[in-house]
Amino acid sequence: MSTRTSVRSSLWLGLLAVPAVAFFLVFSYAPMAGLVVAFKEFDISKGLFGSPWNGLDNFRYFFASGDAQRILVNTIVLNVLFLAATLAAGVTLAIMLNELRGRFFKRAAQSTIFFPYFVSPVVVAIMLQVLLSGPAGDGGVVNDALAGFGLPTVSWYTEPGPWPWILTFVKIWQLGGYMSVIFLAAITSIPEDVYEAGQIDGASRAQMALRITLPLLKPTAAVLLVLGVGRIFYGDFGTIYAIVGDNGTLFPTTDVIDTYVFRSLRQIGDFGTTAAIGLFQSVVGFVLVSTAVLIQRRYSKETSLL
Amino acid sequence: MTSSLAKAAGRTAAKRRSGSWEPFTVVSVIGVALFMLVCLIPFWVIVSGSFTDEQTLAGKGYSLIPQPFSTAAYKLIFTGPTLVSAYVASIVITVAGTVLALSITSGLSWVIARRLPYVSRPLAIFAYIPMLFSGGLVPLYLLVTQYLKLQNSYFAVILPLLVAPFLVFIQVSAFRQLPEEILDSARVDGAGELQIFFRIGLPLSKPILAVVGLFYAVHYWNEWFTALLFMSDIHKYPLPLLLQNLISNVSFSQMLPTAAAQSTPVYQLRLALTVVTIGPILLAYPFAQRYFVKGITLGATKG
Repeated sequence: MSTRTSVRSSLWLGLLAVPAVAFFLVFSYAPMAGLVVAFKEFDISKGLFGSPWNGLDNFRYFFASGDAQRILVNTIVLNVLFLAATLAAGVTLAIMLNELRGRFFKRAAQSTIFFPYFVSPVVVAIMLQVLLSGPAGDGGVVNDALAGFGLPTVSWYTEPGPWPWILTFVKIWQLGGYMSVIFLAAITSIPEDVYEAGQIDGASRAQMALRITLPLLKPTAAVLLVLGVGRIFYGDFGTIYAIVGDNGTLFPTTDVIDTYVFRSLRQIGDFGTTAAIGLFQSVVGFVLVSTAVLIQRRYSKETSLL
Repeated sequence: MTSSLAKAAGRTAAKRRSGSWEPFTVVSVIGVALFMLVCLIPFWVIVSGSFTDEQTLAGKGYSLIPQPFSTAAYKLIFTGPTLVSAYVASIVITVAGTVLALSITSGLSWVIARRLPYVSRPLAIFAYIPMLFSGGLVPLYLLVTQYLKLQNSYFAVILPLLVAPFLVFIQVSAFRQLPEEILDSARVDGAGELQIFFRIGLPLSKPILAVVGLFYAVHYWNEWFTALLFMSDIHKYPLPLLLQNLISNVSFSQMLPTAAAQSTPVYQLRLALTVVTIGPILLAYPFAQRYFVKGITLGATKG
């Protein structure tokens, strides 16, 4: 094959990537340029380029508003809770699933606990309403149970206190099965003779799980942890907004950057300040994600992306 | 000699494994069973509630057995025009979105996977950067509403999610596993690069196409954020957005046939609509599950 035909054929081949390149240019790269709005006093009638510059005013306004501290703290606290809880749940479930015998039960169990991952956040929000508030606003399955044990019922949707834990529980429900799939794959790749050696030495199943399986899951957990920490500045908008919505009573513990940005865009229409928060989030997020990816690549060559 | 000993040990080990029930195994079975229950109960309460008569639901709350049994909400769903149109919207978005997204992602992934000099690597980086840095909500909102003018168009939901970099990398690594000899032999037979892609690359990659396509399909079926941002015409709402409106108690008498509007089974309807939203995923799940497991395992080791 001559070089000329190969160049021509690779040109043809390049055509296949054109739609995707166009997509990235319009929906990923153009919005990056659009971030200049963070430095402008945006006026929709003047458009993006006609609006006057206002320097760092938008940033000052956000950090002086008093909301900044609350949503930053919430974002980090909630994400740390979510990450720790889902990793722990994933490891525990994977080790337990690995103990199961009987192919049918094992498969049924895996299918069941994996399913919540595919459920829309809106559906999750409705389920939570069923559990916590009942149709008429008071009651719900949980309160019925509390009353059954003679305990006082709680008006969940007006109490901000327990919500970080409720949301963490929701996350475990959504992602526990998903995480266990990853960890179970890691367990399957552990060579069988390690366990045989343990067995010859008279280890019990519990000892083998604790002393062999758990330590060997560390690299997988470390990779997931690092990537999770890298994304700590991005909340799960869908789940939190679907559940909390515009219920202001719960904001003190549940309002995160993403929900705040969404609300100030939709309700106040303050494009400049909203974009400033978005830019702040993107920049810090970028530093964290890149650091995370660099660390992850250093420690696990075969899991690197590019 | 040693290997046969090891084999014998392995055999007894296997025997012990299936014979005795150690405490840890019992604990595991109980633990997994409990978690299964936690996963199932919310679904069951919703299904049961959707078949329970509205008055009982409002008076006594939810229960695990639908009594008195009623299908009023389902009758409403399939006679109310907005509810049917929401279903149609969701189907259109899911089908069109998945087909478009899968085609475009496959094209890009193939070019990256072929390791063309000066092309593949820059393309990979080009697709990777959006995973690290994004413009965020405001520029996207301005782009779609002010420049592309896509409000109330299904494309406003489809286009922003068209290429997921994560899935590109799963697909690239799958394409790279195709044996180069097959492609070379096609070249020797005079096939062009595009022909190779359509006639050989794609047909040989059906499993990975299924994985990636299913991820896109679930994503589009559940997508409501972009719909929330860009859809204001209630007749174009996809299912999740309609549901979300029901949660926030927006008046929805306009979605229902007028005769039924007075005695709308609000709570029951909300649950029935939830069942209808989960339904298709639940039906497809038994066939699709192994593909998802495969995709996640690939993603965990490659991305």
